[in-house]
Amino acid sequence: MYLILLPILFPILSGAILLIFFRTSLKGNEKAKRKTLVIISGSLLVITALLTITALLTAKESFTLFYLTETLPITFAIDATGTLFSLLAVIVMLCAGFFSFAYMKHEDHESRYYGYYLLVFGVLNALCFAGNLITFYLFFELLTLSSMPLVLHNGSKEAVMAGLKYLFYSLCGAYAALFGIYFIYRNSTTLTFTAGGVLNPSTVAEHGSFLLLVAFVMILGFGVKAGMFPMHAWLPTAHPVAPAPASAVLSAVIVKAGVLAIIRIVYYIFGANFLRGSWMQTAWICLTLITIFMGSMLAYREPVLKKRLAYSTVSQLSYILFGLAVMNDTSLTGGLLHVLAHGFIKAVLFLCAGAIIYTTGKTRVDELRGIGKEMPLTIWCYTIVSLGLIGIPPTGGFISKWYLATGSLKSGLPILDVLGPVILLVSALLTAGYLLPVTIQGFFPGADYDYGKLEKQEPSKLMTVPILIMTVLSVLIGLFPNLITDYLTAIVSAVL
Amino acid sequence: MIILTILIPFIAGGLVPLLPFRKRWQMEVFLETAVVANSILVWYLLFHHSDSTFLLAHFTGDLNISFRVDGMSMVFAGLVSALWPFATLYAFEYMTKEKNENVFFLFYTLTYGVTLGIAFAANLLTMYFFYELLTLVTVPLVMHTLTREAVLASRKYLYYSLGGAAFAFIGLIMVIVYGSTTDFILGGVFDPERIAGHTNVLLLIYVMAFMGFGVKAAVCPFNSWLPQAGVAPTPVTALLHAVAVVKAGAFAIIRLTYYSFGTDFLKGTWAQDVVMVIVMFTIVYGCSRAVKETHIKRRLAYSTISNLSYILFGAVIMTPLGLVGALSHLVFHAVMKITSFFCAGAIMHQTDRHYVHELDGLGYKMPCIFGIFTISAFALMGVPGLAGFVSKWNLAEAAVESGNPLAWGGIACLLVSALLTAIYMLSMMVRAFFPGKDFDYNTVSDVKDPNWKMLLPLFVFTIFIIGFGLFSQPVVNFFSDVAKGNV
Repeated sequence: MYLILLPILFPILSGAILLIFFRTSLKGNEKAKRKTLVIISGSLLVITALLTITALLTAKESFTLFYLTETLPITFAIDATGTLFSLLAVIVMLCAGFFSFAYMKHEDHESRYYGYYLLVFGVLNALCFAGNLITFYLFFELLTLSSMPLVLHNGSKEAVMAGLKYLFYSLCGAYAALFGIYFIYRNSTTLTFTAGGVLNPSTVAEHGSFLLLVAFVMILGFGVKAGMFPMHAWLPTAHPVAPAPASAVLSAVIVKAGVLAIIRIVYYIFGANFLRGSWMQTAWICLTLITIFMGSMLAYREPVLKKRLAYSTVSQLSYILFGLAVMNDTSLTGGLLHVLAHGFIKAVLFLCAGAIIYTTGKTRVDELRGIGKEMPLTIWCYTIVSLGLIGIPPTGGFISKWYLATGSLKSGLPILDVLGPVILLVSALLTAGYLLPVTIQGFFPGADYDYGKLEKQEPSKLMTVPILIMTVLSVLIGLFPNLITDYLTAIVSAVL
Repeated sequence: MIILTILIPFIAGGLVPLLPFRKRWQMEVFLETAVVANSILVWYLLFHHSDSTFLLAHFTGDLNISFRVDGMSMVFAGLVSALWPFATLYAFEYMTKEKNENVFFLFYTLTYGVTLGIAFAANLLTMYFFYELLTLVTVPLVMHTLTREAVLASRKYLYYSLGGAAFAFIGLIMVIVYGSTTDFILGGVFDPERIAGHTNVLLLIYVMAFMGFGVKAAVCPFNSWLPQAGVAPTPVTALLHAVAVVKAGAFAIIRLTYYSFGTDFLKGTWAQDVVMVIVMFTIVYGCSRAVKETHIKRRLAYSTISNLSYILFGAVIMTPLGLVGALSHLVFHAVMKITSFFCAGAIMHQTDRHYVHELDGLGYKMPCIFGIFTISAFALMGVPGLAGFVSKWNLAEAAVESGNPLAWGGIACLLVSALLTAIYMLSMMVRAFFPGKDFDYNTVSDVKDPNWKMLLPLFVFTIFIIGFGLFSQPVVNFFSDVAKGNV
């Protein structure tokens, strides 16, 4: 029973201890100190990951820690949806964590970084395991607060401003969600996540139209974290300024907290049957489609690689939200599958960008001519996952997009059922347009390229191995999708 | 016994300039003993009170000065007497840098007695009497530094408060004329026969009296005295202008609404709509001014303006749950705001920095102060697990339950205000902890945490902030007993 608490409390406490006691900057015998710090943080990370997996495998019943008030319990429970997100979080956090041990060599305040990194890990676990809306809200706020220091890590003026922007956008969203929670509390039987929804049938008849508005406000609010139009502007500002492994975590996992939040309120609080066919669904689908197109378009025009990837995140997250908004079994499966696929792919992309910055210092796409000759392994991984994001079979991205498109076509929504797949296709084209130039210029620098300057500078194993692992995983999703779709079908059939 | 709790501070305060203290610590010990003893007496009284009314003086007809302990008095008196000893301890350390300590501590202690007088007042007249007295004894505290700025601020404070009290007086007259008694009775005292046909006039008078008492509670547009009064020494700003004086305004409004005019009479009328709109506006207005303000104490003062209107928002929902929300925010905000003011004061005391942009890099130099400051900021924002979340939850729950669409709009105001709170509080924390790449740490090398007299009150308050956040149920249950009239 207490096993469920360990993966939450252990990293939070160890992160806090790291923050308080390892504050001294690395002076004197710098190398030795750095080595201790890395070993300590590394073992803490691994222990956390093991604890999480143990909890996922063994903890079956829900556990109430204590009561905020008589009616507001802080409860943890592991269900299939939580497991899915938690697995993604563990793998990405672990890989990106090991990547940072190499990458953070050229940044200051390393111990602070690892401290907050562990805090974020614990809070993410808590978010995945949250058993009711209040617990979820609590850790949703904490996630914002603990991940902000990762954004403003390098301390430049730009980074601090980006950190504040991230903070205020996220809190704005959280408070919009809290507005909804107040009303749900009054109009539902319980705040515990229950597949199919918890609304009180009698109040639905009475306040139905108002509750739809509440649902829409909540989706907009939690949608801030998932970068949904019109509150997406923080994402392309905040993600690129963070250190590359932190950007990977932000883009691959932390924004997924917004997705998880929306899954929880749509399928576990309001219930799909209540929302399906309402004006709210139409409005929500429209917003996601706008975001998909706009994100890809902005990414296509962006010259800085990490910024480009951040815009790509905006667009890709709305693929997931589109799947959730259509609300049938196929589209929902597609959305959940894309959570995994996009998580691994985007983490790899950001880590590759980080590896490039670390070894060459280049940030703009047009500077990357011939990069493939210098760092072949990194750019090969980059290319493989790019193909996945575009949606070329047999990668994970193809399967999820297939589900999304067929789900949309069979939904029977007027106009949107066809418009959806069309926009997905256009966006896929744009995705190819903004991701592949790196590959093309990298491997085919052109006839006038000076091969004499070229030197092999593949980054260290600590960087390439995490990238490789996640690349392989993203390909495996595409090669053996049945394993995962079977699992997802269980979730989907429970909530619909 | 009730009268004793009011008299002890008067006597002790009066003795401070008279007794020949040779050393400063003798005065400290004397005063602290008196204050602690009085607080213990108050708490003893709260647990062992009788329902009888203590009559001090009888004027004519119904008019008398009398005291009684009921639910509301217990909340307010309990709050004030719990905070006062800590604030006094803090003041000893803070005032080492100021002059005329004896005069300061005289009036500071007098205020304790007067505030308890407001809390224990059994009828409107008594409350009004002590309410005026409160203005008079706190003016010298605002004026304390005797700079031109301080004199102007105290003059403004005096005029605003007396003017407000005049409007409140009209309300008092109306209650005397149309009510069966001036005593505080939950549910109101109006005589249905006498008020027939005068409803609209009475509602107008209610709005006027609300605004009159609202001056102390810094309701828009009568709030500009509060940020100006921030020139006073920090213990005054923290205890009086975040707790005692301003909460006396909120307390008076709750008395007026629930115990004199009565919610049955007011609920659903235009008067309720008017005051609710004013309060909602103040909530957002105070916060947005706080965001713009760069002086730390004035920023917190604007935050107080906004938070006081949270309390009033709960009060003007005019349901028992609304009163529960109001009372919880009255108590919880007091603890949160006194903590943040004390942190601000400690920063000023240790570093002589007064503006937000001067906070760069102080975070790791004063870890205790800034750690506590951050906790109080999170609490004010309403992060779950801390006190602010519980009181906001109660307020919002009351607003949803009331079914009044205007109150639903009020929830939106609360949340906008929470966001603005995050902006004005956390921008300070980010500055302090993450000063930026080019920051030169040598400029803050001699900064350190203050001594135990300043830290002890802060630690105790922090425990309260977290304790109220996690185990609020007994307190909230007590509030709902008060709101239902069971106490």
